[in-house]
Amino acid sequence: MSLKSLDPRINRMNLPDGELPPMEPKAAFDQFETFEVFARKRDKTPFTYAGPVHAPNADVAFLFAKEQYSRRSACSGLWVVLTRHIMVSPYANDDENIYDSFEVEIPEDTTWPLESYEVFHLKKRGKAHTHVGRIGATSYQEAYHKAKAAFAAEHPAVNMWVVKSKNVLQSAEEDRDMWLTLPEKKYREPAAYKVLDRIKKFKEEEEQKALTK
Amino acid sequence: MKREAIKDLLYKIADDQLILGHRNSEWTGLGPILEEDIAFSSMAQDKIGHSLAFYTLLHDLGEPEPDIIAFSRSASRFRNSQFTELPNGEFDFSLIRHFLYDNAEAIRFEKLSTSSYAPIAKVATKLKGEIKYHVLHANTWLRNLGSSTEEAITRLQNSLNTLMPYALGMFEPSVHEQELIATGIYPGEEKIKAEWLTKIQQVVAQTELTLPDISSLPPMLGGRAGQHTKYLQPLLNEMAEVIKIDPTAEW
Amino acid sequence: MYGGGNTFEATKAEDLEQEDAVKLAEFEARIAQGEKIEPDDWMPRLYRMQLIRMIEQHAHSEIIGALPEGTWITRAPGFRRKLALMAKVQDEVGHAQLLYSAAETLGKSREEMLTDLINGKSKYSNVFNYPTYTWADSCIISWLIDAGAIVNQMANSKGSYGPYCRALERICAEEAFHLKYGHDSVVFMATGSPAQRQMVQEALNRWWSQIMTFFGPSDKLSVHTETLMRWKVKMASNDECRQQYLDMYVPKIREIGLTIPDPHLHKNEQTGQWEYTEPDWEEFRKVINGDGPCNAERLGVRRMAEERGAWVRLALKNPTAKYVRPLA
Repeated sequence: MSLKSLDPRINRMNLPDGELPPMEPKAAFDQFETFEVFARKRDKTPFTYAGPVHAPNADVAFLFAKEQYSRRSACSGLWVVLTRHIMVSPYANDDENIYDSFEVEIPEDTTWPLESYEVFHLKKRGKAHTHVGRIGATSYQEAYHKAKAAFAAEHPAVNMWVVKSKNVLQSAEEDRDMWLTLPEKKYREPAAYKVLDRIKKFKEEEEQKALTK
Repeated sequence: MKREAIKDLLYKIADDQLILGHRNSEWTGLGPILEEDIAFSSMAQDKIGHSLAFYTLLHDLGEPEPDIIAFSRSASRFRNSQFTELPNGEFDFSLIRHFLYDNAEAIRFEKLSTSSYAPIAKVATKLKGEIKYHVLHANTWLRNLGSSTEEAITRLQNSLNTLMPYALGMFEPSVHEQELIATGIYPGEEKIKAEWLTKIQQVVAQTELTLPDISSLPPMLGGRAGQHTKYLQPLLNEMAEVIKIDPTAEW
Repeated sequence: MYGGGNTFEATKAEDLEQEDAVKLAEFEARIAQGEKIEPDDWMPRLYRMQLIRMIEQHAHSEIIGALPEGTWITRAPGFRRKLALMAKVQDEVGHAQLLYSAAETLGKSREEMLTDLINGKSKYSNVFNYPTYTWADSCIISWLIDAGAIVNQMANSKGSYGPYCRALERICAEEAFHLKYGHDSVVFMATGSPAQRQMVQEALNRWWSQIMTFFGPSDKLSVHTETLMRWKVKMASNDECRQQYLDMYVPKIREIGLTIPDPHLHKNEQTGQWEYTEPDWEEFRKVINGDGPCNAERLGVRRMAEERGAWVRLALKNPTAKYVRPLA
C-alpha cells in the first residue's frame, strides 16, 4: 500500500506502509446496545420514530441522537429509549387494525399503583411510528388493553410500541434553544442554490460570441 | 479607539472558531464511532458558521469580506490562540481540546450576550444554544471516558497535561482589555478564566482525571499578537489552496 | 451515494424450494398488494440475504464515499463551499448510519458488516476507488455521481422492505441538497475563468467512464433477477437507470459548455435510447476485485479509523449491555 494520499488529512494520520494483514473480526465489545429515537418537528406535532443509534448509555445516546436525527430539519424535542425497553405488538396487514387481534381485558380491581406508559402507532407499513398518547397501567399487558380502549376506535394501527414513560429519556424544556438555529443553515437546503440566471447569462454570452465570429 | 478594541475582540473570537472548526472538521469520515463522527463534524461545522457570523460583524465595521479575511491573511495576522491550531493527534487530544475550549466558549457567549455592543450581543444570544450542546457533548464524553479504562484515562490525562498550558493561552489579555471592561463590551479574560476554571474543575472532579496545577504552568501566549506555532501557516496554505488558484474567480 | 452493478451476485434459485409454500405465497401476495415488509414478518431466506447484501453495500458506499470528497474538505474555496461540503460529507456518514441500521433489522450486526468491509469481503460502489485529483473532481462527484445515486435510490425507495424505504426517504431528501450543491459548484467553474473551466472539463473527462459504469453492466436476465424484481428488491434494470440518467443529465452538462468525452454518445431518435461507447467493463471488474487506484487506500483508511477508535469503544463498553437488533 503506497500511502501518499491526495488527502492531506490522511497523510497526517501516518498510516503504515505495506500490506496490512487481515483485520481480526471485531470483538463483541464493539457492539453497543441500540436506542430508538423519536423526534418532534414542532410543538404541536407528535413524536415520530426517527431511527436507532448505537450507544453505551442513554446520555451518550442522546448526544448521538441529537446530531443524527435532529440536525437536518426543524426539531422541538427528542426522546431516546433503549430498544429492549420497547414492547412490540405483532404486525397486522395494512387493511387491518392490530387492536382487533385481541380482546380488551382490564382487571376490575387495580390495586397496584399505576405507572405511566407511552404508546406509539404505526398507521401503515413502511411509515414511521408516531406517539398517540400516555396510559396509566400496572403492566405492559394491561397497558396494551387500556391502549385499545383508549385509541383503537379513533386511531387504527398495524403495529404498536409500548414503553414505560420512566424509560424514555426526554430532552429538557429549557434545552430547546439547541435547535433554534437549524433553519438558518440555508447552505444545506436545495433552495439555496439558484444557478439558472448564471446558466442563462452564460448561454447568452456564448451565442453572442458565436454571432460575432 | 473603541472601534479598534471591538475589532480586536471580534478577530480573536472568530479566528479561534475558524481554526478550531477547521481542525475538528478533519475528523469527518474518520471518527471512532459512526454517530460520533457525525456529531463531531456537525459541531465543527457550527464553529465555522460562528466564525462567519463574527467575520460578518467585522465586515460591517469596514473590514474586508469574510472570505477575504479568512482565506487570504498570513499566519502573523491571525489572532487565534495557539491552542486551536495544534494538529489533531488522536481522538483523546481533540476531545480534551473540545472540552477545554467549549467550556470557555460557553462562558464567553454568555457574557457577550449581554454586551453593550448590540451586534455582538445579538449574535451571541442567537448562537448560545449551539454552544450549549457543544458543552453537553464535551462534558458527557469526559465523564464517560474519564472514569473508564486505564488506557482511556491515561490518554486523556496526557492530553490534558499537554493541552492545559495552551488552553491558558485562550485568556491572553489584549491591549484593549481595560477599555472593553470599562465600556461594558466584554468583561475581560481574567474573569472568563476564573469562571472557566471553576467549571472545568467541577467536571474533572467527577472523573479519575486530575487537572494540572495551573499556578506552576506557564501559559502558551502569543497567539493573540500573531505569534504562532509552526502549524498555523501550513493549515492556512491548505485552507486557501483552491481559492488561490484564481483569487479573483468565483468558486 | 450508491449505484447498481455489483449488487446481485448469483444465489441459487433452488433456495426457494425449501421455503414454506403457504408462507411464501402470503409473502408474495403482500408485496403484490403494495404492502411493505417489516422486520418481524416471515420472509424467504433469499429475500433476507439479498437485502442484507444490497443495503450493506449501500451503507459501505456511503462511508467509503465520504473519503474521496473528504479529500477536499480542508481546502474548499470560501465559506459557502466549506460549510456545504462539510455538511454534505457528514450527511454521507449519516446515511451510512441509517443504512447499517436498516440492514441490522435483518439480523446482521453493524460490527460484522464493518469487519466484512475492511477485510474486503463485501463490496461498495466501485467509483469510490478512483481518486479526486482536484477540487473539480469533488464537485463532479457531488453533482454527477450523486445524481446517479438519486436515480438509483428513488427507484429503491419504492421497494418492499419497510426499514430500507424509511431510510431512503430521508436519504433522498438530503441528496437533493447534494445534487444542487454539486450542480452549483460545477456551474460556477464551467461559467468562470478559463482556468476553472479547464479544471472542471478535465475532471469530467476523468469521471465520465466511472459515471457510465455507475449503474453496472447490462443485467443478465435470469430467473433470479425476475424473482427479485417480483419481490421489489431490485426495482429497475441497470440499463433503465442509465438511460434515465442520460436523459436527465446530458442536456444539463452540455448547456454549460462542457464536452462529454464520448464522441459516440447520442440519442437514437427512433429507439428513444441513448447509444454510447461501452465503458471498459474489464477494468470495472478488475477494480471491483480490488485492483484499482485507490482500493488499498480506502480500506486502509477505514481500517485505521476503526483501529484508532477501538480504545474509545472499549472504554465505553457497558458489561451489562445486551445487544438486540434495532426495531425498524
